[in-house]
Amino acid sequence: MKSTLRNMILSLTVLTIVIGSILAGVSLLTAEPIREASLKARLEAMSAVLPEFDNDIFGTAVTTDDGLTVYTASLGGEPAGTAVETFSDDGFSGRITIIAGFGQDGAVTGYRVLEHAETPGLGARMSEWFAAEGTSHNVLGTTGMLRVSNDGGDTDAITGATITSRAFLDALNKARKAAAEHKNINR
Amino acid sequence: MKALQVIGDGLIRRNPTFVLILGMCPTLGTTSSALTGMSMGLATLLVLICSNTVISMLKHLIPDKVRIPAFIVVIASFVTVVQMVMQAWFPSLYSALGIFIPLIVVNCILLGRAEAFASRNSVWLSACDGVGIGLGFTAALTLTGAVRELLGTGAIFNMQLYSADFGALLFVLAPGAFIVLGLLIALFNRLNSNR
Repeated sequence: MKSTLRNMILSLTVLTIVIGSILAGVSLLTAEPIREASLKARLEAMSAVLPEFDNDIFGTAVTTDDGLTVYTASLGGEPAGTAVETFSDDGFSGRITIIAGFGQDGAVTGYRVLEHAETPGLGARMSEWFAAEGTSHNVLGTTGMLRVSNDGGDTDAITGATITSRAFLDALNKARKAAAEHKNINR
Repeated sequence: MKALQVIGDGLIRRNPTFVLILGMCPTLGTTSSALTGMSMGLATLLVLICSNTVISMLKHLIPDKVRIPAFIVVIASFVTVVQMVMQAWFPSLYSALGIFIPLIVVNCILLGRAEAFASRNSVWLSACDGVGIGLGFTAALTLTGAVRELLGTGAIFNMQLYSADFGALLFVLAPGAFIVLGLLIALFNRLNSNR
């Protein structure tokens, strides 16, 4: 087509209108499935980090002053544990969001990394590293505040990713504090 | 058999990474392991086939002077559609690939192929060019990722071949990407020129 002003305006207008409507259609079509998928992923993470529970856990969500979300799990009316969605902004590449579960005794029952942008092969190994059984970097079952060994703590940092490890433990410690405070208020 | 020739060209003689040296940003950024490299390659392959096909269909309807913005609109919307569809129906795939998908828009391979091939050839051949270039990109990224992962962590596709303690961390980090890519380009062009 010849590049006259009329042609250029016409073709770009038509193209953007057509593509805009296609995008709007796809967005409408996918909005519901996207919401469901993200809810399902969260529920799966909850079941993975907490002991067995049967209440509507999302209904118990409470947001703390520093932006953490605390969920209370119960089984047959009895409290079963606490899950905390927590984060740290001190990661090697920005924010790390994790969900951590705590039993009634305050011990870590599990964690899941929800979002992060750490280096694959290095910081990204936090998904398995801190749950490795029988190692000095296993955080499961711990009840106190944790620090990496470089800072005088007892938890070994991921090889080559001390900054990520520090951020991860920071997020976990914040969650632990929030879970403990939440339990005291409820009591 | 022009189609096969176009696909073969994209894979070897006009390999986007090793010969055309296009799309270096995603190449360096996403090849820290074989799996992430391959994932990025496959996502690009999908968008490239779609964008090449549509741009080839539209080539007579778009005035020459505004072709670049028109191409960009087409490419960006395909990337968005792929992202939304993946997020809705393939959430596990999306969680693995999610961060790379928006990066495809700024990959100059797509605009490069739209401009150099799809706007001058038939729809069928443009789709074949998308397949060829996409596969070439995927193969190059997988290879670069595999070499970096092997030298850096002793594994390929997470399969441990030797202890990670002997791996050179350098290769997982950004400088290693430049070193491996440079050596692979040299090797590829050496092998290519011998034929």
